[in-house]
Amino acid sequence: MASVLPSSSTNPSASSVNSFLSAAEREAIKAATFQRLHPRIYLERFLEEKIRPDGRPTAENIEDPNAWRNVEVNVGSITTAPGSALVRIGKTTVVCGIKAEICEPELDNPDEGFLVPNVDLPALCSPKFKPGPPTEEAQVLSERLNEVLGNGMLSLSSLCICSGKSAWVLYVDATVINYDGNVFDATLLAMVCALKNVSLPHADFDPELHRTVCTRSETDPSKPARKLAIQEDLVPLAFSFGVFAGSHLLPDPTASEETLLDTYISVILDAHAQVLSVSQLGAGVDNYEALDQGVNNLPSSREADTLARCISLAKKRQAVLIKKVYNTST
Amino acid sequence: MQSAFDRRRINGPEDSYHPVFANEIHESSSHVHRIRENRKISDIRPIFLQPGLISQANGSAYIETESMKIACSVYGPRQSKNTAYNEKGRLNVEVKFAPYSCELRRSPLRDAEDRSIAVAIQQALLSSVQLEHFPKSTIDIFLVIIEADGIEGCIASGSIAASTALADAGIDMYGLVTSCATAVKGTDLWIDPTQEESNTANGTLILSCMPALGIVTNVWQSGRIAPSEILACIDACNDRCTDIHSVVAQALLDSAPNKI
Repeated sequence: MASVLPSSSTNPSASSVNSFLSAAEREAIKAATFQRLHPRIYLERFLEEKIRPDGRPTAENIEDPNAWRNVEVNVGSITTAPGSALVRIGKTTVVCGIKAEICEPELDNPDEGFLVPNVDLPALCSPKFKPGPPTEEAQVLSERLNEVLGNGMLSLSSLCICSGKSAWVLYVDATVINYDGNVFDATLLAMVCALKNVSLPHADFDPELHRTVCTRSETDPSKPARKLAIQEDLVPLAFSFGVFAGSHLLPDPTASEETLLDTYISVILDAHAQVLSVSQLGAGVDNYEALDQGVNNLPSSREADTLARCISLAKKRQAVLIKKVYNTST
Repeated sequence: MQSAFDRRRINGPEDSYHPVFANEIHESSSHVHRIRENRKISDIRPIFLQPGLISQANGSAYIETESMKIACSVYGPRQSKNTAYNEKGRLNVEVKFAPYSCELRRSPLRDAEDRSIAVAIQQALLSSVQLEHFPKSTIDIFLVIIEADGIEGCIASGSIAASTALADAGIDMYGLVTSCATAVKGTDLWIDPTQEESNTANGTLILSCMPALGIVTNVWQSGRIAPSEILACIDACNDRCTDIHSVVAQALLDSAPNKI
């Protein structure tokens, strides 16, 4: 039994490990330990200094583009999928791949294909998740994305090959590779970029054989592959905000901030910065916690104010982001 | 193909199938003995390896060999749950194919292939990890295959990524594990075969080893190969593994300054 217990010669004690480290490294370990033990106080102390733990500015200079994390988009890197995109928002990484298959349309809607968006949060992306069936969070995310993508951005009738006989079904599967907060925005962006990237082969329904035959554009140039008929005006982009301690508005929250938020607000805008949807999860913004913080001169319309502020900030951000996304995907 | 209605996911139509292309039949047979266009049969695909991309994990690695893309993360050592007391740690490997990773769509339900790859990778790594240092704990290794090109390549690249991620997580090991696959086609040995090449091969062999110690950790052979050819395969793989070892070591060295 004694041989199993770690002896001091093989496993040096904590104090002797510390002696190997420089002063700066010891400070970093202290800070990391403090964050682990007191995450709330850790964040509060940063916000008092008007800075967020990842170095972004807060409240006062929120108009600053640095209030949002850097966004990177890489389209079409997966050759096994007819459409794909990789999106990184800060360290959050989402890969979306689209598979096109052929199916029979529903009896009620003989002229419509299908768009099937699903999000996977594998155990790989965060210690929060375990292998197995989709977690509640993944189910909620998929449901919300299904709602947003079903807004008419892609008309399902454009996926019809032959009325009542054959139609395309697009399986839009997003896999989160690194879960560092604001996964909803990242996933929606990945799905939109992947949809724009899809090229479908030319398909013909053969009524005699009762099957659909596709043609590769390389073998028959008269039947080229086509892009999806996407209504550019209705392309949605999401912008999420967290409210911490009733008074701090945090755009694009990270994973460590997300767990501490009272309220989570998502604003979804179309290509003309018109609001498509606004959702607020969690308690109302104007709650007693805000009063506890000493912000007791809040107007009664504070909640509406916060939402209005989020929308205007989202619109500012949208102008920046849309330029960036369009530049990389075309 | 949606095999079952699952209320936890957004469901599509009951039945759908991969598009059928006209004039496809001749094409596949003409590929059989095609010579590789941009590498010799004794060459492996170029490797891109990046440790530490997944910030939420204790250790991680991303590997790309041409069209093969695998992300791997390591969590732990953490407390074993629902298991009896064990003096040695447990090494748990889970592999997941993304639905879009293969030519045909994979339904999100787990199938047998995930598990056989997970077992192969677990076996390749098991003897390299000093599990006796982690009593009562589990080391979880999760792999997501973003794009696959050959099962052999998945196992080989997956093992390399997993070993790199273990090193990135600072877990005690005897040595880095590298892995390489060969396919026997006629009398030739094709190193690091793609899906297409291994489909037309007589047999395949995957060798995992710790080149720094000169120790083989796992050999996985399938198909028809003569004993003398097996030895030739092992020699060829062993040479390539030594090359791969320097790639892994360099990738870890390059990422080391970012760790602190």
